Amino acid sequence: MAWIGIDVGGTFTDAVASDPHSGQLIWAKSATTPDHPQQGVLNAIAKLEVELSAVNRLVHGLTLGTNAILERKGADVWVVTTKGFRDTLEIARTNRTILYDINTLKPPSLVPRQHILEVSERLAYDGSVLSPLDEAELDSVADKLIAAKARTVAVCFLHSYVNSAHETQAAAYLRQRLPGSYVCTSSEVLPEYREYERFSTTVLNAYIGPKVSSYLAELKGDLGKSGYAHEVLITTSSGGVATAERAARFPISTVLSGPAGGVAAAVHLGRQIGIPNLITYDMGGTSTDVCLVENLEVPLTSEQFISELPNRTSQIEINTVGAGGGSIAWIDDGPILRVGPQSASSQPGPACYGRGGVEPTVTDANLMLGRLDAEGRLAGEVSLDRSASERALKKLQPALGDIELIRLADGVIKIAVARMVSAIKEISIGRGYDPRDFALLAYGGAGPLHAAFIAEELDMHTVLVPPGPGNFSALGAILSDIRYDYVRTQLLDTRKTSVEEIDRLFEPLEGQGKDELLRDGVPGKDIVLQRSLGMRYIGQSWELDVAIPADVKSVEEMEALFYRLHEIRYGHATKDPTEIVSLRVAAIGRVNKPELPELAANSTSKPKSVRKAFFDGEVHDVDVYEREHLPLTKPLSGPLIIEEGGSVTIVPPGWSCRVGKVGTLVLKKESA
Amino acid sequence: MTSVDPITLEVVSEGFIAIVREMRATVTRTAYSSAVYELDDFSCGLFAPNGELVAQFNDIPSHVIPAPWGVRCTMEDFGDDIHPGDIFLLNDSYRGGTHLNDVTLLYPVFHQGKLFMLPMVRSHWGDVGGMEPGSYSGEATNIYQEGLRIPPIKLYERGKVNTAAMALILSNMRQPDVRLGDIHSAIGACRIAESRILKMLEKYGAPVVSECIRLDLDRSERRLRERIAKLPDGEYVYEDYLEYFDDGVFDPVLMRLKLTVKGDELIADFEGSNPQVPGPVNTSLAVAGAGIFVGVKATLDAGGTVNGGLFRPLHFKGPEASIVDVRRDAPAGAHAEVRKRAVSVALGALSQIIPDLVSGDLCGTSFPNNMGGFSKRRHRSWAYLEVPAGGNGGLKATDGSSAFVNVDHGNVRSILTVEVLEQDIPFRVKSCELRTDSGGEGASRGGLGMRRELQLVEDEARYSVLSDRAVIPPFGMGMGAHASAQVRASLVVNGEPRAIRNPGKVTGYGLRHGDAVVMESAGGGGYGDPLLRDPEKVRRDVDADYVSIERARDRYGVCFKDDGAVDVKATEAQRKKIAAERVFLAIEADESDPFEGWKGRHRVVRLSEALAARLKVANADLIELKGKNPAPLRAWVRVDPKRKGEKISLDDFGRRVLGVDDGERVLFRKLEMPPLRAGMSGFTERDAIAAAQA
Repeated sequence: MAWIGIDVGGTFTDAVASDPHSGQLIWAKSATTPDHPQQGVLNAIAKLEVELSAVNRLVHGLTLGTNAILERKGADVWVVTTKGFRDTLEIARTNRTILYDINTLKPPSLVPRQHILEVSERLAYDGSVLSPLDEAELDSVADKLIAAKARTVAVCFLHSYVNSAHETQAAAYLRQRLPGSYVCTSSEVLPEYREYERFSTTVLNAYIGPKVSSYLAELKGDLGKSGYAHEVLITTSSGGVATAERAARFPISTVLSGPAGGVAAAVHLGRQIGIPNLITYDMGGTSTDVCLVENLEVPLTSEQFISELPNRTSQIEINTVGAGGGSIAWIDDGPILRVGPQSASSQPGPACYGRGGVEPTVTDANLMLGRLDAEGRLAGEVSLDRSASERALKKLQPALGDIELIRLADGVIKIAVARMVSAIKEISIGRGYDPRDFALLAYGGAGPLHAAFIAEELDMHTVLVPPGPGNFSALGAILSDIRYDYVRTQLLDTRKTSVEEIDRLFEPLEGQGKDELLRDGVPGKDIVLQRSLGMRYIGQSWELDVAIPADVKSVEEMEALFYRLHEIRYGHATKDPTEIVSLRVAAIGRVNKPELPELAANSTSKPKSVRKAFFDGEVHDVDVYEREHLPLTKPLSGPLIIEEGGSVTIVPPGWSCRVGKVGTLVLKKESA
Repeated sequence: MTSVDPITLEVVSEGFIAIVREMRATVTRTAYSSAVYELDDFSCGLFAPNGELVAQFNDIPSHVIPAPWGVRCTMEDFGDDIHPGDIFLLNDSYRGGTHLNDVTLLYPVFHQGKLFMLPMVRSHWGDVGGMEPGSYSGEATNIYQEGLRIPPIKLYERGKVNTAAMALILSNMRQPDVRLGDIHSAIGACRIAESRILKMLEKYGAPVVSECIRLDLDRSERRLRERIAKLPDGEYVYEDYLEYFDDGVFDPVLMRLKLTVKGDELIADFEGSNPQVPGPVNTSLAVAGAGIFVGVKATLDAGGTVNGGLFRPLHFKGPEASIVDVRRDAPAGAHAEVRKRAVSVALGALSQIIPDLVSGDLCGTSFPNNMGGFSKRRHRSWAYLEVPAGGNGGLKATDGSSAFVNVDHGNVRSILTVEVLEQDIPFRVKSCELRTDSGGEGASRGGLGMRRELQLVEDEARYSVLSDRAVIPPFGMGMGAHASAQVRASLVVNGEPRAIRNPGKVTGYGLRHGDAVVMESAGGGGYGDPLLRDPEKVRRDVDADYVSIERARDRYGVCFKDDGAVDVKATEAQRKKIAAERVFLAIEADESDPFEGWKGRHRVVRLSEALAARLKVANADLIELKGKNPAPLRAWVRVDPKRKGEKISLDDFGRRVLGVDDGERVLFRKLEMPPLRAGMSGFTERDAIAAAQA
């Protein structure tokens, strides 16, 4: 019996297998096969050497939909909408995010205007019917869709979040007229008000729906043939998992699958090692995701964009920075040294990869500084060429007054670090949290290389590096609970409503969640339902999502919870009256999770070599350890370099490192 | 001198921007005015005590660029009398403000007993008193009708609220509870900024932080100076109009710009612009200058950090008590319209220097529509503002974006979503669509405006609008490029469409249940000759219904076969025909004053009766001339029985706008204006009587 977690990345498909009893973990990596990704998945599973018929839980992180959106390679979507509103998506919110540039253009809509068809129907804001759905018009819309060979349709009507009848009726009719096509409605994808954002999310869902659903169907078939007999589960953007069937219906809810897996793993690790407050820092080749985890709670939001288009599904609240190991350092016409967002990605890659890259990257700077091994291989795959890094970095020297090369390399790292620091400040200080109350959990190939420097800037005293930092997101996949989110938009005056009324509104959402989890085979005892309310002061427009624990028995207590959150988030709170605008339920199906194994004692405990590396303005002789050969009992003082398969950890001077529970590296700032 | 390494410089200057970002997030989430939280009509910024802008983020240029004037006025008025715990408030259009609805809160931050920096929140309050809900409106004749004027005052003194000032302010506005919420939201954001600034000072020390600020501003300055230095020295001129109605009679007011490039500096002189008038077409030099700044920055130096260093190479001048330097008691509600006209004249002048980097004219108006009343359903008075975005001008490489706020308006969301609107105010949105054919035709098409219809579903409401470009359309750039559609605000009363008396301008129209407001925003001007546009692009525009098949034929010269494909032969013939029908007339130099008007001034072109008949134009028709320069010259026709011949007399300024000399020929084109109920100044009965008496 085993569990398998998969994460399909841009370059590698990572797999991890776990024996839920022994906790033993097996890791494997295989090249991603972009044209036929299930092949890469099967290859990675094969490398695990686990019998698929003995696997009873397989969880998959999905980036197929994300990439289709980013590369604009989705389906040809048609939209059916309320008469008079065909331009909702193109008009959008009319705002311009890049200022002082006359060349800035509005992000193009995914759907050309001629693919938007109107039908007479209209609801009022309270869901009452102002004019019924015109069936004759719907019929001629269907004719047009058939004539145009439309295969993907998003049905988007006004106010459907409060009354979905017209959308449901139209979708049912269109499914019947266009058999086998992908049809979704805005009320099922995102039953929330603000039509532009809802329609946008729905169209994104339709845009990737056909691709994701056919991929999942094929994958299920292939896995079945190989002997896997259970549900294929998919990591969702909110850090839970969903069945493949549900993910195919709502693929838009999986676009942050990868980062969500990492955060789920972080929560699990935090629980096991007893550190509940974490800031996760996941730095890969092209970008970095940071996330603040307080009290082992995954923070969720629904106000995000993908490729400039709103995606308002529930998702982990991450802050993404366009800077990773492959980010290119350059000089703007300031002249100011900048890092990213352009990336050398995996092809051609940093200059030191010797695959034709000539631009200096963060990885090149690390190599120059001696923090990466000029003799070694990155991730056991790529050999590094220090002279190529040197040539690339030299190009920047003249513009910066011929600054010494080593200092230039140090500057590149410092600027990359400054960007991470700024991103972490936004999610911590910017929301009323003090980063010093958190440990920095670093993973991703490049995370552990820079974590201590970031912690230094933020005055954070602890950095954690989990086991297998390069495969951490895949590990998260098998550590996630099943989670479905439900929402209802409903305006209520908090002081005029009652707990009974609120209960009445929550119950159908909870019923829906419970039914769906039971259908997925989750035993009733493992189902947890969490309520939250979208609340705001009367007169405000943006609501805060306030978690409502089961023991809250009065609306006064609910209001008090809102005041407290407002104070934390925005630095002030009055006792003014509030209103409720939405009710949310998270239905969670708890699954057993493997405990991460403790390390067995090792024999060597000796550095493998001594290398010259640059820290704090000077070159040091630095001990280099293999991670698996670190002494388990005593802490070591920096500077240190710790190498392993998928990553390198840097312990700078003034920091110490010891091996903690389950083999986690614990870096501590030594007091001066 | 303190030396700072380049890395610290980056960390500190990024740090200030991060502080502004944090302020913005706080204001958005906690403000009570829908203009702030839904439309993002607010700005934050950090200012040095000398008024220089230290940092901003995505803050709307219309607010943040004129803001240094507000800081300077406050510093002048209070001098040494500024203490920890003081908080300033101001909105006075004559003393540091923009229009009265934009209320500015300044929060002095002290370090070691010394004033170090002033965080600012400037936000659009839904109502500041005055004669109608929403405060500013198209028919105001003096500033007292536009709301409560607040010169820089201390709202808080040494940490204690000035209750008298607070009570006075709140008592003079329609939604005092909402206003108080806005004040708290702004103070909350400034407190956060204060704690972050102090922390930064603690970490790096004041000398290092101050040096970083100096270096950061200096390098922005240097960058812009380098760009300006590359331009040929010289004077570049342009003129355009704002729309003023004198007792219902259309009396356009003139805005003139002389842009001088001198080494690495730019001098923008509004000399010759109209004296101020008793209508909302006036603003301060800070606001008008902001329009020039944005025009210059967005074309010459797009991208890059925006801070006070960029203002140093620019100089602004304007005649006292004019439309660009408003004094008591003229109304100042139209700061946005005047600023936008300043952007237009900046583009017009710049097109003579950097024709490839400019666009066709932008939609040219912010189009503010104010509605208000008392909602029975929600038991409270309400005020609602929307500013439906129009089109952007075509660019050399691409078409202008449709329904997309112009570059001077920043990250403003100009409309509410239907679902929020219908929940908040007693209107139902009947439709919201792009306006077919509203984009100016050109080799690159101007963006489209939008059309929105809002129907009242309660008993009563009041409607005001203060727009420009409702009579005189945004201009196209380059030979043959067309103007775009004007703004149109109209009503549906008792089921019947009804134009409003003065296009674009209404104060407090009383709507009844079932009546509707129809708002149509302007398009953007075209760029380049539409006859050179790729016919395939025209076909795609027709397929998407951005352009009607008739316009495709008449303006682009593109014809289609029955299956919708381009008819290449017919297109070729049609394009030849259109080109042949263009009218070119010779210019003759004539330095007599071509301007007429009552309180306004508009250029008149005199034509002989025969020529007018041949050109099918009559008295008071709006025309444009196009010469060698990309932007056109607008004028109104006066048929002169004494005049002979086919030439057009033009003064030196006019010839310089067009880039033509005596004897050279220019393209002549008539432009459509909406009906003017009471006519136009110079052409009314009153003018005829006056002329007869003279």
